[in-house]
Order: sequence, then C-alpha cells, then structure tokens
Amino acid sequence: MAWRKVAAFEALRDGGVTGVEVDNTPIALFRMGDEVRATHGICTHALAFLKDGYVENGTIECPLHQGVFDIRTGQALCAPLTRDLQTFAAKVEGGAVYVDLKIDSTQPDSGAVAETASAAPAPAAPETADAPAQLPLVIAGAGQAAAAAIRAARAAGFAAPIHLVGAEPHLPYERPPLSKDALSETFDPASATCFSMQDAATLGVSLHLSTRVTGVDGAARRVTLSDGTALDYGALLIATGGAARRLGVPGADLPGVHHLRTHEDARAIAAALQGAKRVAVVGGGFIGLELASAARARGAEVVVLERESELMARLLPPALGAAFRTLATANGVDIRRDVAVEAIAARDGALVLATTQGEITADTVLVGVGLIPETGLAELAGCAVEGGIVVNAAGRTSVPGIWAAGDCALHHAPLNGRRGRLESWQNAEEQGAAAGRSIAGDETARADKAPWFWTDQFGLNIQMAGVPGLADQVAVSGPAAAEGALYRTLDDAGRVTAVVAFSDAAALRAGRAEIGTIFDLEAAGARLVAPGEPHDATSEEEDDMSADPAAQFAKTYVWPKEGLSIIPDWVYTDETIYRREVEKIFHGRTWNYVALECEIENPGDFIRSNVGPTPVVVARAEDGSINVFENRCAHRAAEFCRDLSGNAKEFVCPYHQWSYDLKGNLVGVPFRRGVDGKGGMPKDFKSADHGLKQLNVTTHRGVVFASYADDMEPLADYLGDEVLREFEATFDGRKLTLLGHYRHSLPGNWKLYHENLKDPYHATLLHTFLVTFGLLVAGNKSLMLADPTGRHGVMASAKSDAVVSEDKKKEMRAYKEGMTLEEPRFMDFIDEFDSPWSVTMATIWPNLIVQREMNTLGIRHIVPNGPNEFIMKWTMFGFEGDDAEMTRHRLRQGNLMGPAGFLGLEDNEAIKFVQDGMLGIPGGEHLVKLDPDTEAGTADTLISEAAIRAMYRHWRDVMGIA
Amino acid sequence: MLTVPLPNTPSRDEMIDALLLKAEVEAFNEAYARALDEQRLMDWAELFTPDGFYTIISRENYDRKLPVGLIYCENRGMIRDRAFALEKTAMFAPRYLRHMIGSLKVAQEPDGTITAGANYAVFQVLFDRPDATIHQVGRYVDRFERTSEGLKLASRTCIYDSLLIDNALCIPV
Repeated sequence: MAWRKVAAFEALRDGGVTGVEVDNTPIALFRMGDEVRATHGICTHALAFLKDGYVENGTIECPLHQGVFDIRTGQALCAPLTRDLQTFAAKVEGGAVYVDLKIDSTQPDSGAVAETASAAPAPAAPETADAPAQLPLVIAGAGQAAAAAIRAARAAGFAAPIHLVGAEPHLPYERPPLSKDALSETFDPASATCFSMQDAATLGVSLHLSTRVTGVDGAARRVTLSDGTALDYGALLIATGGAARRLGVPGADLPGVHHLRTHEDARAIAAALQGAKRVAVVGGGFIGLELASAARARGAEVVVLERESELMARLLPPALGAAFRTLATANGVDIRRDVAVEAIAARDGALVLATTQGEITADTVLVGVGLIPETGLAELAGCAVEGGIVVNAAGRTSVPGIWAAGDCALHHAPLNGRRGRLESWQNAEEQGAAAGRSIAGDETARADKAPWFWTDQFGLNIQMAGVPGLADQVAVSGPAAAEGALYRTLDDAGRVTAVVAFSDAAALRAGRAEIGTIFDLEAAGARLVAPGEPHDATSEEEDDMSADPAAQFAKTYVWPKEGLSIIPDWVYTDETIYRREVEKIFHGRTWNYVALECEIENPGDFIRSNVGPTPVVVARAEDGSINVFENRCAHRAAEFCRDLSGNAKEFVCPYHQWSYDLKGNLVGVPFRRGVDGKGGMPKDFKSADHGLKQLNVTTHRGVVFASYADDMEPLADYLGDEVLREFEATFDGRKLTLLGHYRHSLPGNWKLYHENLKDPYHATLLHTFLVTFGLLVAGNKSLMLADPTGRHGVMASAKSDAVVSEDKKKEMRAYKEGMTLEEPRFMDFIDEFDSPWSVTMATIWPNLIVQREMNTLGIRHIVPNGPNEFIMKWTMFGFEGDDAEMTRHRLRQGNLMGPAGFLGLEDNEAIKFVQDGMLGIPGGEHLVKLDPDTEAGTADTLISEAAIRAMYRHWRDVMGIA
Repeated sequence: MLTVPLPNTPSRDEMIDALLLKAEVEAFNEAYARALDEQRLMDWAELFTPDGFYTIISRENYDRKLPVGLIYCENRGMIRDRAFALEKTAMFAPRYLRHMIGSLKVAQEPDGTITAGANYAVFQVLFDRPDATIHQVGRYVDRFERTSEGLKLASRTCIYDSLLIDNALCIPV
C-alpha cells in the first residue's frame, strides 16, 4: 500500500484526461465530477499515450487507432483492442489526488475505492421509462438495423435485458460489402461485422443465433423461438430483413446459379468467379451491376440481362438508368434489355439460358432481381403490412409494443408520392436507431433523414441522396456517365428530388442542400439529358487530344476536385511530371544548394555536386570567387570531373583533352587548327562561345547556392524573413568545419522527403525511439512553419525547461518500463544557439534540408534521379572552436540521423514503403486532410498537414497544374 | 620493385603461434558474423570490451580523415543502446543479411595487443526482391583484447567502399 500524491485535484479538467508518472509508470488520470480514476497511461494495443486521447461517456478513446476503453474497469470495448487496460486505485484527499499502483481499482478488495468501483453498474434506466420498458426487448432478426437499435436503446437508457434472435449463425453484419469487397478472395468477413461478442457482453445482449422467432402473441407480449424457448417482451422489434427474390424459372436451382443475400452466398459467388470465363447476370439493378463489375474485375466476359427497357427502371428515371448502362458498357459489359430468362439448363458443363432473345451460354449465373421482405412475423402479430411493414417515424407498427425497422419496413412517409421500402445501409441504421430510442422511451425519436445510398461499380463510388421520381427530368454537369459526373433529378416544378454523384463525395455533400430547391441549370453549368440521348462523352475528348502539348498536359494532369487535401499518385510516379519538375523547379527560378564554403576553402578546391539531377562542379577560382558549372564537356557531353573533391588548376576532359579554367571557360581545344593545314575547327569557332554552362551563384553564412535563373532575387528575399531567421540561427556566423559525408539512394520520389519534414504528425508515431525513451515529452514547445509562398518550411521543437533542468539520467526515464539508455549523454543538448528551439529541420526549396538536431548539424542535399528515386548527400559539420569533446558529442548525437540513424533509417524505410505502395497499386491518391482549420500554411498543432498542402499549392502554381 | 618489404622468415614456433592466433580471430569473426546474420544484436554487443569502440565510416571520410560515421559508438553502453533500439524500437522492412569476412590478417604487437584487419561483404535480401544485393563491402580495422571470456573487440572500425548506401543501413556490419 503506497499512496502517492500525483496531482492537484484542481489541475484536472472535469471530463478530461491528464498524464502523470508514478515510479516510472505513466498514468492517465480522469476526473469525472468529484471522482478521479486512474489507468495505465499507455494503450494496450500500440505505444500511444492515453493522455492525448478523447474522453466520452466514461470511456477513453486512444488517439492512435481509436480503440476505446472503459475508464472505470479498463475493459477494452472495441477493435483493435484485445487486452484490457490496467486500472489503479485513486482517491482525492485535501485537494490532492493520490494513486496507488499496488491496488487494482477493479479488485473488490481494493480498499479506499472499493465502494465506488463496485458501484459501476450497467447503464441506469432513465426515470421516465415506462413500465413495459422494464420487460425485455426481443429483436427478431440480427442484422444491421438490430445492431443500431441495441446501441440506440442502451444509449437512451434502456436497462432491461435484450434478446437478439437471428436466423443466420452470424453476429450482425453489414451487407453492402457482400456485392463488393466480399467477392474478393482476401476479404475478411469479420471486417463487415457491426456487432461483436464484446458488444453483446458490454451491452447486455443475450444471443439466440441460428434461431427464428416462430410465434408471437401481441396481446400477451410473448414470442416463441424455433428452439422452443418462450420469451416475454416489453418491446418486440421486427428487423427480419428479407430474402433474395429467386428467379422463378426452371433450372434456377442448378449448381452454378447464385443468389445473393448472406455471407455464405457471397463466399459461393466469390468462389464461382474464381476462374469463371463467361458470367450471366440476371437483373440490371444495383446488385446486378455490382456483381457484373466484380466479374469484369476478374477478367470474365459479362452479359447483363434486364427485363425492362432500361436499367433500374423501377428506381430511376430512364435517362439516369442509361447513365449506369453507359458506364457498364464502357467497362466491357454486354447489356441486353427487354429480355426475359425463361429457363436455365446445364449442357456440356455449361449453363445455357433460354431467353426471349435466344440462348446465352455461361459458366456462372448470378441473379440480382430484388428482395422479398420478410413480413410473416409481423402479419402473424397482426401488424399492418403493405408490401412492407407499416411504421411511423419512430418505427412503431400498428400493434402496440411492436416496432419494425430495416429492409422489412416501409419508409414512414411516401417518397415522391410512392410508399416504399428503402433497401439501404443508411435506412437500416436510421430506422433501427429510431426504433431503439423509441423503445427506450424517447418520444422524439424519428427516422427522417434524407435517404442516402451508395454503390461501388467499375472503380467508381456512386452516391445518391434523395429519391428520384420515375418521370423526373435529369440534368447532368461534368462528364457524362464517368468519374466526376453529377446528376440531378428534377420534378415537374423544377425542384431537385435527388442528386447522384459519380466518385465525387464533395459534390454530393453540396448537392444534398439543393434537394427540394428549384434548380438553375445555367448557373450550375448543367444540361438536361433526353432519355434517348447517348451518354458517350469520349468522342469529343478524342478530338482534343491531338491539340498542342501544353493543352494536352493541362488535360492529362488535372488536380482532384477536392483540392489540396488530396494528392494524386502521378505527382510522385509520373515521368512527364518529373521532367517538368527538372525544367520548372530545379532549372527554374530557385536557389539550389550546392556546397558549403568550408569544402572549397582554397583556390583550386572543387567538389562534384548537383543542381536537381544535373551534375555540376563547384570550384573556387584564383580570384577567390566561387563558380558553379555543368559537369558536361561542351564537345561530346562527357561528365569529365570524376573525383568527389580535390584541388585542380584546370579541368581537362579526358576524352579529347578539351580544357576549362576554374570558372568553366573553355581554354584549350587540341588540334583546333588541324594538322598540316588539314582538319581542325571551322575558322569562325570561338572558344568564348563554347564554355561550360555556368550558373548564377550566391552564398550566405558559408552556404553556397546556385541557380539556372540569371535574375534571381537575393537569397534573403527567396527565403523570406521567418525562414531566414531560422537559417541564421543555425548558420550563426561561426566558421563551419567539415566533419564528413553520408550518401545514400532512396527508392522514393524526392518530394516525399520534404513532406516527411513538413509532417510533424509522424514524429511520435514512426519514431518510437523518441517516445520510448521519453525524448518527446509533454509540454515540448513546437512549431510547423511554412513560409508565405508555401515552398519552404521549418519544423521546430524545444526541450522544455523543466526537463532540461532535471537530472540528466532521470530525463532519459523510460516510458516503457525497463527501457533505459545506458549512455543517455548522447541525447544531451548543449545550448549553443540563439534560438528558442533545440531542434529545427528547415526544408529549403527545392533541394536542401538543414538539420539542427540539438548539436548534430548537417546538410541534406536532395539529388533526384527520376520520379521513383533520389540520392541524398549529407554533409555533417561543426564550428571552428569546437573542442575535441564537442566534436565527439556531435558525432555521438549523429547516431540519431543519417542512413543508419535511429530516426533516419525509419524515415528512409517509410519513404520506400510509400513509393512501393504507389507502384504496387497505382492510380490512387494520398489523403492530407489533417487540420482542416488551416487550409495551407503554418500550423499551431503538430497533428497537421497544412505545411504539405502549402507546398503543393506552390508546386501546382509553378508546374502549371490547375 | 616491391613497395612493401617481405617479412623476415619466421621460425616454425612463431608460425604455429601466428596460425593459432589467426584461427582464434577467425573463429571470433565467424561468431560475430553469425550473431549479426541471426540478428542477435544483444549478443553482438557482448563481443566488445566495456570501453570497446565501434564505428562504420565511409572510405571517403576515412581517407580524408573526416570522423563522421554511420554508426559511432564510444563504448559498449552505446553499442548496447544501438542493439536495444534496433531490436525494440526501430521500424524497418524485414530482411535477411549475410556477413562474409575474409582476407584476415592478424598481428600481435610486442605489448600483447592483437591487431587485425579483414575484408567484409554484407549481402542483403529483401523479401520482395529476387536478388541478394551487396549491401556493403569494406574492411575491418580491429584491435582485440584477451579477456577471461576470450577475445573481445577493443575497437572495430568498419571502413566501407560502397559509398552510396542502398536506402538505409539497419543492421550493423
């Protein structure tokens, strides 16, 4: 028993979490009103501090992967957590908070806190709950609507037992993946589960799986189950969903003919598609088209047979159905309309479909002809059923004590004059939750959000909000029937009834607000689509592609509509983009790092360097000037200078002995006048016209920059005030001394390195070294600066004073017990700079990183080598006046960085992983959405990607990418 | 003309002593390579004396007397920290490595110190590539001490010729 005083009660925010440490163990303290709770401070899943997490309803959500623990019990409540969190006894006395690590607060004999700990009950019933609510809730059907209802009922205070009765052997799962991801061999069924065993335990739900409700007595409020059990209920929720409509023709039960409703169906279809060559899909609705898409993705020939004269004729106006047909056709699907299947027969190892348009042969037949709602139980109970169970907005049926939700229930109100069911994920969620709240006594419960629906087909995510009328007009903006297409359906008053967006979530969000408003075609740049009009937009585009290269570039490389928060892969992998970067950026209006002056102190000293990928020589001439010129002989292009560094009086190309002076001027051309009056150069040949390409040069505080632009602004203007200040904090006027180089090649795009240092988010996540040994501690001041142009940046952090003043050994305390450094002094910071920051990483566009990692100082010089690789040359330095111990300190601290650095090697690997990911699965895009409050620029939080966005705003501007 | 004089012809006993010592160092290097190949980094750290020095330095820096090393450890504590951090905290793609050590040369100084040199090559296999790449070639410059637990490295300087490192050096050489 060792109570330790850990904090002042007043210092804890009510409803918040605070991190403290007791005997090297990180502890999270939670103030819940007058009570304080203590748990271990580190998530059981990955190394993350719960003090940075999010407290809600007595739970703590880990900041890293959103795992949730119960604060009182430490119980792990959801994936990805598998282990409970350790809890500790805590108490408040005399305004101070005490914690005892020896006492687990959940143990019944945990002394001082036993009383409160054991008083942690299941959610209490609200006082307003009426008597029937004290009786159990029985839910018939264990699908998504059931799961939503349970959660909502418990959240609204429903305290009585809950029985979940489901015909399938599975826990509730979501069905949208069944016709999408679940058809791939690698699909993990668990990922679709929306209600876990853990949930059942936490929410107090008794499971009756592989069981049906077979009888109901609405007056006695009692149900009987297929296993003979009888259950009395206070509330019965019918969420029985439905069954796939069978194809009612001879042969519909043959092997190889598949319907889709359950996990097992999806597995069978996935197996059938493996190796299927010819697939016939019966039914051209959303399920049919998703199945067609999956079959095409596996390389099968696909024919879709639709009975009506247009796809989805019972859901959508014909012009919109035609858009889906156009998309499918463009993806190689053979769509047949006005065709009915009359019989299926097995013949010669294949299935032959007899149709009204002749025979079709396939090796797999997939049927998607709709759903028959399961309303038998409701009818038995005497509920009104009109093609679906009739419910009000709260989910109540016509029989007291019985609710219904999901695919088996009607929408509570007519939609565009039609009474109907909405077979969608959103409806199951909405109706289920409304019923759950209503059952718990919440009279305000209503399921009346605008209907919303999505389908994934042929690589597009197509979303629909609202309910179109079948006779509505259809307007389109953007391309037709392709990515970016935005359709609106308009009723006869010109009001928007629904919005359909092809892979454009932002447009859909915006479009939702238009529903019910009068649509202005012209203002929106939209046009009406006549029902018979072809949707093919490709013919126009082909004409334009022969236009001039600039127009072609502008057309090919279009930034995603979402703006800066999305970066397409081609930015990092495309050869044309790379060549343009060399032209517009490295050879454009930029100052490129090439050398430190201390590498070329004396006349004749030179080093090989690069401006972008271009090899250059940096040489000091006899007059003391620094000169930068291309390392490419003006005669036959030989890269003549081969030594990494040295001292020379002149440069002679070994091939034909052309010689150049230290400024790159052509001095000698052997046999220029020929031999014996024969041969030689033309008479008008002038050496002055054939020197090496010389670059504009500037230096600042011992750092040498070069530019292909002759009229560059001064370096100070190029850097801007803020970045210049950080540059001068590192290059503080002391003379630099060279300590050595590292060179390595990184299999990634060069911009990823900039991004890594404009991404403070990764620092504690990738570099567990820092966290493990307590090198990044709470209260560290930090900044992610972006200059006004967005191209330069400085990531800065400061060791907090409190930490620095502590005993050095203690400072290295391990956050994971038992992890300490034997030689912590290599992490010492000797404050030699006039700067509030102990660490700064300056990204100076386009090719320089200045590393000031406490006392280990280095230049990182980016040399791109194609879109998928770059070379990094490191030049480590110290200052004149460093004594031997200071130099050794810099070398010791150098273990953090470089190709083998504790942090450096991880950055290198991460960049490789990113490029591998893009090359392995091309055509994707990156998300850089963190910190939306700052669109682009300097961020005052480390959980931000605003500096990356700022860089891409600049990049797009320079590259001419709209 | 020879630039390095031939050694004096040694006696048979001297030759046997030299062979035994060489065999001992060879056995040490084999154990060293095996510890690294099997990625038993804590075992690797124990092959050094308490004040053992370890660095991996480019031939470029070494020849120009520039001190910067990829890894720079002034004593076994730092070597252990390196081993511990690589095993417990470092993130890098899984890989297999083979350390080949050859062309060993051993000499015993009059004061008993054992100096040695050897060439090394490290092959690296990443799991998604067909080839083993030569990740690093170089030479060791060593000083050994004889301890109660056998030979230990008082100093190993790894001087690598392959200046342009393929991405990252994750396991010591």
